[in-house]
Amino acid sequence: MVKLTINGREITVEEGTTILHAARENNIYIPTLCENEAVAPYGACRLCLVEITTARGRERLVTSCIYLVEEGLTVRTDTERIGRIRRMLLELLLARCADSEVIHDLARQASVTRTRFTKQTGNNKCILCANCARTCEEVVGVAAISLARRGVDREMTTPFNEDFSEVCIGCGSCAYSCPTSAITLEDTDGTRVINWPHNQMEFKMKACSVCGKYWAPEKQVEYVARTSGTPLSDYDACPDCRE
Amino acid sequence: MEKYAVYVPRLIKRKEKFAPGHRACIGCGEALAVRLAFKALDNNIVVANATGCMEIVASQIPYTTWHVPWIHTLFENTAAVASGIEAGYKAMKRKGVQVPDNVKVIAMAGDGGTSDIGLQALSGALERGHDFVYLCFDNEAYMNTGVQRSSATPYGAVTTTSPAGKNSIGQFSWKKNMPEIAAAHNIPYVATACHSYPFDLMDKVAKAASIPGPAYVHILSVCPTGWRSPTDTVVKLGRLAVETGIFPLYEVENGQYKMSIELPKLKPVKDYLKQQGRFRHLSDDIIAKIQERVEIEYQKLVEKAENGSKRAKRKSKTGAAKIST
Repeated sequence: MVKLTINGREITVEEGTTILHAARENNIYIPTLCENEAVAPYGACRLCLVEITTARGRERLVTSCIYLVEEGLTVRTDTERIGRIRRMLLELLLARCADSEVIHDLARQASVTRTRFTKQTGNNKCILCANCARTCEEVVGVAAISLARRGVDREMTTPFNEDFSEVCIGCGSCAYSCPTSAITLEDTDGTRVINWPHNQMEFKMKACSVCGKYWAPEKQVEYVARTSGTPLSDYDACPDCRE
Repeated sequence: MEKYAVYVPRLIKRKEKFAPGHRACIGCGEALAVRLAFKALDNNIVVANATGCMEIVASQIPYTTWHVPWIHTLFENTAAVASGIEAGYKAMKRKGVQVPDNVKVIAMAGDGGTSDIGLQALSGALERGHDFVYLCFDNEAYMNTGVQRSSATPYGAVTTTSPAGKNSIGQFSWKKNMPEIAAAHNIPYVATACHSYPFDLMDKVAKAASIPGPAYVHILSVCPTGWRSPTDTVVKLGRLAVETGIFPLYEVENGQYKMSIELPKLKPVKDYLKQQGRFRHLSDDIIAKIQERVEIEYQKLVEKAENGSKRAKRKSKTGAAKIST
């Protein structure tokens, strides 16, 4: 167990916990967008910045979602300096994704109402946190989408920027894990459409042999059958009709 | 959430607020429902829990199952205590005492604590518009005291206080329609859920907590002990209750009804009734009577949902016309 102080409160947590999780367990609020328990920490959105003083007296600014707790660490989550940086980050995010409800909510909490930067268009709501790509690779295990290029050209896209990714199984986990709902998923009679910020892909859905309901994309069923080593005929009926 | 079903179990929170090791019966549907409901909420909550199964199994001195602040209340005053906590936070904030922001108060009770004993306190709290979520875990009788009938017990069910015999068919009255009573208070959010549809349940609880003002979620929880059913059929029975139309899943958001699951055809209620010992004695004509009633009730609900969506469409059309002129 490790002892540390967050905002003047002494808390004890297990070794190997991040500052963010330690704070959250003790009901100390730190805003974040890109944190996702299911995948490895990444530190993309920078909103969870905190000020720390190590046991040896060194002061630093760190992202709490990747910094592990240490003995004798002093953490401050609500200083004036952090507030200033966070407001700047939110202004930048507002300029980048003006349509995102989530970012507007966070900005309102930090009393940021307008942005001094030129609003960008064509970004959809993507903040480049790579939650989608990380979920695809680490949880689903297919790596159908990724972040491409560098610097200002960086974007979330499919291989070669085509409206098609050969390995994508259409499970929609990227849409689920997206913090700003930049990725959306629509199911209409027998087809599923996943809308990524710059591409779009269609999937054929599998119909249940008993009730006729479309219950999963065909490619996903094939992938599950292949990885679990079960025959494809096991998946003819939907989970409701399966015995 | 239902759409993403395959990978979502790996993407939701891992931390449990309702820890294992509690003393619920084998195959308890209510414990499952509580666990799922609290997984959908964040840490910033205070729970007021009425007397009932979940209080008995989770808080035997000196142990507790709860990882969140939790208060045991009496049967009759759960909603009153919850509104008191909410009002207390407000008052402390007004007086300048440092309290955490956005604390959500969760009141939870069984069907007896909700539809019988706690009804007037609940009605009062809903009417006053306190910012809280009321979760009713409905296992259709007073199970923890040994299966006595409540007003949520369905018609024909055997309990120790409504036994079946020559002169009795078991429970003599129909199940009280608690979600409709809550909806009649014109509160922002009312929903019904079942642990057999876990993502639907989690979505609804999360939605209820995100809406300011009172919200009511009625959760059907299968009880193998009281329903006299095998412990491995808990999830199946929950699904059957929904598929037969006995317990339809719907939400009422600001008066707009919406069905959560589209059922093109209802399964016969016999499939559901015949798997439970409490309905074992029912003759075919009583089952036909139940079937008729279930269909009528279900149809009423579907009509409400359809009328609501029609009205919403009309509204959006007139709204669009206004903008163009």
